[in-house]
Amino acid sequence: MPKSGIDRGVAGRMQRSTPDLLRNLRNMRVLVFHPKDVDGELLAQQLERIGCQVITMWPPLAELPEAVDSVFYAVRPDHTPVRCSWTEGEPPVPVIAVINYENPTVVDAALRLGASAVLITPLRPAGILSSLAMAKYQHAALRDSRRRIARLEQKLLSADHISTAKAILVRTRNVSGEEAYRIIREQAMSKRTATEDIARAIIHADGLLSYVSRGQR
Amino acid sequence: MATTDPIHVGVLFSRTGITSRVEYSQVLGTEFAIHEINAAGGIDGRELVANYLDPECLPQNYRAMAEKLVQDVRIRVIFGCYMSSTRKAVMPVVEKWQRLLMYPTLYEGFEYSPNIVYTGAAPNQNSAQLADYMTRHFGSRVYLVGSDYIYPYESNRIMSDFILERPGGAKLAERYVRLDANERDFAAIVRDIKDKQPDFIFSTVVGNGTRLLYEAYADAGLDPARMPIASLTTCEAEVSEMEPRAAVGHITAAPYFQTVDREVNSQCLERFRSLYGDAVEPNMCWEAAYFQVHLFAQAMQRSGSDVLERLLPHLLGSDLDAPQGRVRIDPVSHHTRLYPRIGRIDDDGRFVILAESAVGVDADPYLVHHAANAWGIRNVALGDVDA
Repeated sequence: MPKSGIDRGVAGRMQRSTPDLLRNLRNMRVLVFHPKDVDGELLAQQLERIGCQVITMWPPLAELPEAVDSVFYAVRPDHTPVRCSWTEGEPPVPVIAVINYENPTVVDAALRLGASAVLITPLRPAGILSSLAMAKYQHAALRDSRRRIARLEQKLLSADHISTAKAILVRTRNVSGEEAYRIIREQAMSKRTATEDIARAIIHADGLLSYVSRGQR
Repeated sequence: MATTDPIHVGVLFSRTGITSRVEYSQVLGTEFAIHEINAAGGIDGRELVANYLDPECLPQNYRAMAEKLVQDVRIRVIFGCYMSSTRKAVMPVVEKWQRLLMYPTLYEGFEYSPNIVYTGAAPNQNSAQLADYMTRHFGSRVYLVGSDYIYPYESNRIMSDFILERPGGAKLAERYVRLDANERDFAAIVRDIKDKQPDFIFSTVVGNGTRLLYEAYADAGLDPARMPIASLTTCEAEVSEMEPRAAVGHITAAPYFQTVDREVNSQCLERFRSLYGDAVEPNMCWEAAYFQVHLFAQAMQRSGSDVLERLLPHLLGSDLDAPQGRVRIDPVSHHTRLYPRIGRIDDDGRFVILAESAVGVDADPYLVHHAANAWGIRNVALGDVDA
């Protein structure tokens, strides 16, 4: 099984030792973007009870400060949205959307925020800890799988390049596939570079040569 | 409403069922405090009148009876609940109707309701100290046995975290028994304990099963001086049910034992016994049930009202010289500052206090990880009496 960065733990009563994700909730620095009202106060108070370091702000900041581990974000389509660079694409930290209406407009805004969990007002103290844990877990899981996918795509592309380069050598040098791969690897070793780079150089050169030969014709 | 009208409160503890023995002690602790308040002239001359119901240890009854109590518009405060499942059943009722529940029982933490005040111990006020004491005096190889519900799961999680960080720490087994487990269930567990030879046994068995576990242990001829049962729930009420030989030498962590050496305590016990004789054995849950009524009365004396939004500001942050020491309700957590203690049962079924906190320890109900450094205060707070 691929090692993910997250300790999922085993749910249920036979496992009784706390996963790091839950152990570390208390150390989180949480930024709350919420208007100063009953819900905003309840949210900040409950996060403090849990033991997080909390800062509440409204309106949201365009740039996310460095030392923040999670964001609670009141989604208010009626409020002129601030252009937040950090909400474009993948948020750098787990975001929990706090919504006041459960209609498609608001839910869509929460989705576009890249939120990993959602709370609906009026807030209750119960549910905040679970949402924070879920968001932290989902955010990390998503980040891990994105990295993994990127790595795999890179590997796939590189394998594709190497097989193309091998085919070129087989055709132009009249060697076997195995021999072609050995040549690529030796080149890579002697130039202290990756087989992928040699493969790309071969493909590039082959393109150049066939262009030249076509031009000469 | 005339200022001489009585003040009505609800009392929800079970007189029948699995945990009725300790819950009945909570009934009498509550009744005793109400008696004292009325004997002293009531709250501003108003008599305190309790409505007692018996939910028979069933969560659905707790919920239905809490609903029934709040239908009576005069009842704005309920004293009650022992098992967490019963507190969870009452919570939505008091939240919906804006009433107050005062809950005098140790529990697993991770809760805050604006409509509940918690006067029993959170894990940082008993589990952490017990784990520390047991590992220092007996070792870190533990056998966990508990009743099959949420309190034992959480308590075992905390104990496991603690044990597994100790050099040589090991969890030899983690066993759960049904709330209505019988002699045979415990005999099998004790055989397994005998085979595995842990340094100590951590029990979170509650109710009638407690007696069965300790008796099975004694029947197997195991030695508490070498391999004691450590518990958070075995108090005087359970010990009084056991054959005396079964209880001796085992250890419990609690903020209160009858043997707390304070004038306030000995006078309180004397008054209680002159009224109730030996109807129940005073214990940590009895004491919390007792002092929380006095905290309520004191707050209401100041607020002049038992309406939640008027009463709560006077209750939160208030303190009282309880039998265990001066307790205080924290305004942020709604939990109570208590005095962690470790006691060992002697030949007379009394708890000899082995260690006690010199200062009150505030509850930290959302503390996930009880590492040694997370409660570094213990060295000053929890000195060994016999050290």
